[in-house]
Amino acid sequence: MFGIPDPAIWIGYLLALGFTLGCMGYGLLNWNNGVGEEEDGS
Amino acid sequence: MAVDTGLFIAITLVYLVAVISLGYLGYRRTKGEDDYLVAGRRVHPVVLALSYGATFISTSAIIGFGGVAAQLGMGMIWLTVLNIGLGILIAFVVFGKRTRRIGSQLRAVTFPDLMGKCYGSPFMQYTAGLVIVVGMPLYTAAILIGGAQFITSTLQVPYTTSLIAFAAIVALYVVLGGLLAVMYTDALQGGIMFVGMTILLVLTYVQLGGVIEANTALAAMSDLVPQALAAGGMTGWASMPAFGSPIWLTMVTTLVLGVGIGVLAQPQLVVRFMTVRDSRALNRAVLVGGPFILMMTGVAFTVGALTNVYFYRTRGVIALAAATDGNVDTIIPNFINASMPDLFIVIFMLALLAAAMSTLSSLFHVMGTSLGFDMVRRTGSGGASMRRIQAATVVMIVASIILAFIMPGSIIARATAMFMGLCASAFLPAYAHAMYSNRPSLYAAKMSLVAGAAAWFLWTAFVHIKESAALGISAFLFGVPAVLPAPWQDVDPLVIALPLSALVLLVGWALDRRRGSAEGPAGAA
Repeated sequence: MFGIPDPAIWIGYLLALGFTLGCMGYGLLNWNNGVGEEEDGS
Repeated sequence: MAVDTGLFIAITLVYLVAVISLGYLGYRRTKGEDDYLVAGRRVHPVVLALSYGATFISTSAIIGFGGVAAQLGMGMIWLTVLNIGLGILIAFVVFGKRTRRIGSQLRAVTFPDLMGKCYGSPFMQYTAGLVIVVGMPLYTAAILIGGAQFITSTLQVPYTTSLIAFAAIVALYVVLGGLLAVMYTDALQGGIMFVGMTILLVLTYVQLGGVIEANTALAAMSDLVPQALAAGGMTGWASMPAFGSPIWLTMVTTLVLGVGIGVLAQPQLVVRFMTVRDSRALNRAVLVGGPFILMMTGVAFTVGALTNVYFYRTRGVIALAAATDGNVDTIIPNFINASMPDLFIVIFMLALLAAAMSTLSSLFHVMGTSLGFDMVRRTGSGGASMRRIQAATVVMIVASIILAFIMPGSIIARATAMFMGLCASAFLPAYAHAMYSNRPSLYAAKMSLVAGAAAWFLWTAFVHIKESAALGISAFLFGVPAVLPAPWQDVDPLVIALPLSALVLLVGWALDRRRGSAEGPAGAA
């Protein structure tokens, strides 16, 4: 895959891309969550 | 140097004016300790994400680890997997939200302060501060060396002048503007890094004929692996080293696990979770942080490995042979200077300079606050004051500069891994316990911190041969560079010290619960 013959390498690339998409999805899905904690401890 | 020096100096001056201006903005907005130490707890999520990423990614990641990828190959991509999965997703979601909330409730302003207040223990604060003050100058010196080497090779400025000027410029805005200045400048630097690394990836693949062709060419070079590396288990630049071989152990335990896990307990990163007002800011920062880290370490490791294809095609040698004086830290700068168009060389230079400055500023700040706020105050010299913290920051900066002149030039990647390993071994179990236990056990935390730090040091000084041979303590006491045989000599201290630290915490916690009398007050969670 991608010209890389060793699965141990291209799986690493796929996981890196997958986690990146996971970060983006998490951020978008929780875009407005957690706003109520603004005055914690103040 | 391929690029016109005048052009680079002109653009660098514009960049420095922008950095100093942002530093001045931070200085003007700093009205008290909260601003100086935790940026007033009102930082914008994008600034947080870029600051976190720019602090996380230094010249170590780009030049040092990129050079390691040029030497050992694309297996380093597993570090990117951990950088994003643990360093962003787990760090922000699992640790960040708790850290922000508890830090806000307890009014904690530094990582040692957070530990001390969670456990109700000056010992925890002082000891965490001590580990930072003793261990962080090593990492800081490595960043200084990387930055100075780069400036020297780019501008032909003497190394000593580069190092001192580099440190002085960063010191100026850190000492005066505190964390607000650090994070504002980080955000600018992070943006430059993102642009520079994106262009680097695109141009590298364009120059080598595209993704498939370049990767295929790299895979086909496996018979060019030097004999010494092949004997250590290396199989090629597009394949993992042989399982269990010395190079596999170094790559997996030191570089991937050591840095990948170590990032979770980095004081300069943890403190950033306390700079935002709510969890919403952390959620939004995750959106920016993931792609940012991918474009930093993912690109550095990919391009690093691919430099072999470039140097083989243009000079008939592998990247290691194209390194100046055999120093792998020079491979990426040499590749950029030799292969890229002038205008983009300037952008890359700025990106590398920004990477060094952003990490350095954060380390200066954390070392200064650890000494001036967490340690000096605890020795009974009165209440904390910004002036004392600023003076302590200057002391730590000078110490780091001195260390940078003493340390060898090819230490960047190893020093980074060492510091991250030490932080994870000493802090991570106790930090996680403080964040997730309703009644964190001070007894268990003390035992874990001491056991983790001690085990890390003992394994470093007496077993892990790359450090033990250099330190010479084992040879002096026992007449051998390492007291255990292979394969133990290639196992990173983190792999031993972190599980031990976690185990000691669990045992201590169980004993404490059995006694029914925890030393500290109820936890903050």
